[in-house]
Amino acid sequence: MTATRATLAGLAGLAALVALALSVGAQGFGWGDGGAWALLRAPRVLAALAAGLALGVGGAAQQGVFRNPLADPGLTGVFGGALFGIAVLLGVAPETAWRHAWLLPAAAFAGALATSALLVVCGRGGSSARLLLTGLGLNAFTAAGTLVIASRSGESRELLTNGAYGDWLGMATLELTWMPILLCLAATLLLLPKARSLDLLAFGDDAARGFGTDVAGVRRDAVLLTALAAAAATCLVGQVAFIGLLAPHLARAIVGPRHAGVLPCSALLGAALLLAADTLGRGLWPQAPLSAAAVTAVIGAPLFIWIARGRHE
Amino acid sequence: MSEPFLECAALAVELRGRRIIDGVSLRAEAGQVVAIVGPNGAGKTTLLRALAGLIASTGELRIAGEDPRQASARANARRRAYGAQQPTSAWDYRVCDLGEIIGAPDAYADQLGSLDLSELASRRLSQLSGGEQKAAHLAMTFASLDEPYGALLLLDEPTASLDLARQTLVAATLRRFAQAGGTVIVATHDLTFARTCDAVLVLAEGRAIGLGVPSAALTPAVIAETWGASAQAEA
Repeated sequence: MTATRATLAGLAGLAALVALALSVGAQGFGWGDGGAWALLRAPRVLAALAAGLALGVGGAAQQGVFRNPLADPGLTGVFGGALFGIAVLLGVAPETAWRHAWLLPAAAFAGALATSALLVVCGRGGSSARLLLTGLGLNAFTAAGTLVIASRSGESRELLTNGAYGDWLGMATLELTWMPILLCLAATLLLLPKARSLDLLAFGDDAARGFGTDVAGVRRDAVLLTALAAAAATCLVGQVAFIGLLAPHLARAIVGPRHAGVLPCSALLGAALLLAADTLGRGLWPQAPLSAAAVTAVIGAPLFIWIARGRHE
Repeated sequence: MSEPFLECAALAVELRGRRIIDGVSLRAEAGQVVAIVGPNGAGKTTLLRALAGLIASTGELRIAGEDPRQASARANARRRAYGAQQPTSAWDYRVCDLGEIIGAPDAYADQLGSLDLSELASRRLSQLSGGEQKAAHLAMTFASLDEPYGALLLLDEPTASLDLARQTLVAATLRRFAQAGGTVIVATHDLTFARTCDAVLVLAEGRAIGLGVPSAALTPAVIAETWGASAQAEA
């Protein structure tokens, strides 16, 4: 399938999914309320779409930079860093944090960037074990840090716990989400032109440099933008793993491995997967909805094991 | 003597505190194919990477009068191409994708033809043998240069893992490149191929211990000193 046809098919599927997502209310699937509440649900749907775009393209970019199909900002600790950044801000200045729309995204970005920098320094070299072990350490550290702060800050405890479970979509209002939504879109749009450089990076640093790529510059830009995408998405959803892993794998299966197709297709698939996960979690269990992160983990974890097994063999 | 296209003097490379290349001097003119030979660990790959400007080095280095260490990656890529010993790809591209990736699909298709790979163009890299993959990457390297004239090819073991027919095709391509005004530097273990080159640099423990036309550089004494007495009989 060509990239254009896949994109069109993806957009059509996404539109259908948006309609379905808007229909899910307190009674589960269906337009039982005559659509009256659909507009109230729109911010949640918008937040899921924007976060999914950023998660999908961020996963593809991180896999490209590390030349590793197991890279996923959720598994490599970048989301953990973003949530930890938010936790630090809420722990240190709980009232100031909400005063400006950019403060929480900035804190998330600082956390995501710090973990990304550690990942680049410690996890590079193409070895899956090294990358994932570094991610494991970063995830453990940031999760512990987030929980410690949550346990000591009465007001933010529930908020941070929900964030760790990827359960923030439910509180999406346009007032809270407009800034991270814009940042998700910006990170996605800025990552798309990196396609050719990511293709060249696939052949190794020497080859990429030999073909005229500013390897350090591409790596720096991609890491910065992936951190931005992860930070903005975390502000909308909380921590959600596996979208950044699933979306690029599906994209490669549909449009082939070239990043000119993989990046936009991953973005669309990321949006569709996150929205589908959120819609399923709400629609199937309307009285006790499952978080989007829980649903993606149920689908993503077995796939991760399958990919890791294939790579080992 | 005409102006050298590539010139290095007292070139030295240190990696992790160890001196890998120690004061190597070399001149190569347009139209020449030069072989760098030496035992495993002699520093052939490191020297080639240093000449390409891919790693830090000290000493004099000029390609077409300019120091590649001072130029941008993009500027360097216009006048020299570097082919790694064991090229790999993180993703399973189709053979024909490689031309699009370097932005030269037509030149790449021509190179696929000259290396007898055209029929494999629609296959995935994982569906090729090791030698075919190597040849596809060589085609990518050749095609990345606009034209041979005024350009430099630096290739690490270009004939290794290729079958005899493709070795001949690669050797012919390199010779055509040189005849069209390009300069070729090849690191190789293949002394038979080295003897067909215009000049040979013999490298041992990072130092040049022989340089000149093949008959002068690859003397029995140098071979015995470099590879041991048993190799002398083989050569």
